[in-house]
Amino acid sequence: MSANYIISVRGLKKHYNRGKIKALNGVDLDVKKGEVIVIIGPSGCGKSTLLRSLNLLEQPTEGQIFLENVDITDRNTNINLHRRKVGMVFQHFNLFPNMTILKNMTLAPIQLKKVKKAEAEKKALELLRVVGLEDRANAYPSQLSGGQKQRVAIVRALCMEPDVMLFDEPTSALDPEMVGEVLDVMKKLAREGMTMLVVTHEMGFAREVADRVIFMDEGTILEEGTPADIFSQPQHERTKAFLNKVL
Amino acid sequence: MAEWFAGYCSWLCDCYASFNGWLYGLQKEFTTAFIVDDRWKYILKGVQNTLILTFYALILGVVLGVIVAAIRTSYDKQYREMKNPIAKFFLWIGNAISKIYLTVIRGTPVMVQILIIFFIIMASSRDKMLCAVIAFGINSGAYVAEIVRAGIMSIDAGQNEAGRSLGLNYMQTMWFIILPQAFKNILPSLANEFIVLLKETSIAGYVGVTDLTRAGNQIRSVTYQDFMPLLAVALIYLVLVMFFTWLVGLLERRLRKNER
Ligand SMILES: Nc1ncnc2c1ncn2[C@@H]1O[C@H](COP(=O)(O)OP(=O)(O)O)[C@@H](O)[C@H]1O
Ligand SMILES: [Mg+2]
Repeated sequence: MSANYIISVRGLKKHYNRGKIKALNGVDLDVKKGEVIVIIGPSGCGKSTLLRSLNLLEQPTEGQIFLENVDITDRNTNINLHRRKVGMVFQHFNLFPNMTILKNMTLAPIQLKKVKKAEAEKKALELLRVVGLEDRANAYPSQLSGGQKQRVAIVRALCMEPDVMLFDEPTSALDPEMVGEVLDVMKKLAREGMTMLVVTHEMGFAREVADRVIFMDEGTILEEGTPADIFSQPQHERTKAFLNKVL
Repeated sequence: MAEWFAGYCSWLCDCYASFNGWLYGLQKEFTTAFIVDDRWKYILKGVQNTLILTFYALILGVVLGVIVAAIRTSYDKQYREMKNPIAKFFLWIGNAISKIYLTVIRGTPVMVQILIIFFIIMASSRDKMLCAVIAFGINSGAYVAEIVRAGIMSIDAGQNEAGRSLGLNYMQTMWFIILPQAFKNILPSLANEFIVLLKETSIAGYVGVTDLTRAGNQIRSVTYQDFMPLLAVALIYLVLVMFFTWLVGLLERRLRKNER
């Protein structure tokens, strides 16, 4: 594997129900360090499955995934070590409701990186300040709005200092007026050079920060290119049809 | 007319006398049952033993139940992605034993289980209370295991995924994220199990534990009167159950309030 790529996916397949459902049907993908990739496509085309495969929340049926040149689908790799390097943000936030915001953020660093509690909290508070939530450090998730929850979910992942961030429709569960505040955080992160894979329907975001847009259909990557290419001159009929609906 | 009236009066007097006699009889029975020779102390000791037995049996049941539930859920969720063949083997064995345990305990009457433990498995032990705690604990564990398992499964899969995506392993995710939330959900069911167990321990007398029911029987066997001791025993169970039911209700309301 070329050292240029932080992620390399080769022939990735994911089948459900003994092959009756082919969620991923042969995906190849190379991601450079610092690249921001937006994945689009109709519902059920396998976007989530691809993202979840990248940190093995789904076990691939076939194919290989290289993360920093290590094959994480190999039986002998310790997946827990590699998951620390890959942050994930979910559509429904998945904050831990029984912990304060601060505890949500410091649990993993304290348990896994053996960081001192005070140090972990200092770092968490710094990150909370960046997203404008330092005064909510001791609140519980249920006391936050959707947009605030998702901002916390993002910085919770950042507390582990990941090399890659995966976003699975991070704004789809939000009220429209809260979408902006979450996208702003993601834009900031992109500008700071984070490698990001983002599944989203926010085409404005894609245009503004994506280095590459990937259009998926029926478990494969049908088309990819710069935002300008994909949005103004889509090559495939299905891409055109999809973009007509969402733009 | 006067004759009729006189008859009526004497009938009333008879009634009054026999009612008085009945009351007096009750009072005497009550005295014989509880006051003479301080027999109420049997009842007190019985209540105490019933509560102690229930309490320790539930603790043992919860410990067993959590272990069995943990084995069963990790087998369901974890077995296929495990790599270490030795750990895999032990999990497989643990799961098999757990399944047999659940089937046997839930498929046989608790009375039979207690007799088997008392007269066969722990036949050499002199400590009747200990035998009873172990028997009821093992029995209760099977039911608690299913309560805990349901509690774990009731937690949204996203919680597990969030924990794992941060790099926490299966055990860490369970311990720090899933179990604390599951415990909150199952606390009311556990309290209910305590109430069920409280009533079930009434058969502990068969193996010689002087619980509440047996205390009543002891009084009956010296006074040769059934009414008062049995009534008292039933009333005390009822009051205990009503009290704990009320506590469970309080607890449930508290937990629900915290959720908001
Ligand atoms: N756990 C599962 N079991 C069975 N089928 C699944 C499962 N997860 C996803 N699928 C199927 O795989 C396909 C791709 O799903 P997904 O990756 O969630 O699509 P997208 O995120 O693009 O909407 C869909 O047809 C979906 O029904
Ligand atoms: Mg999806």
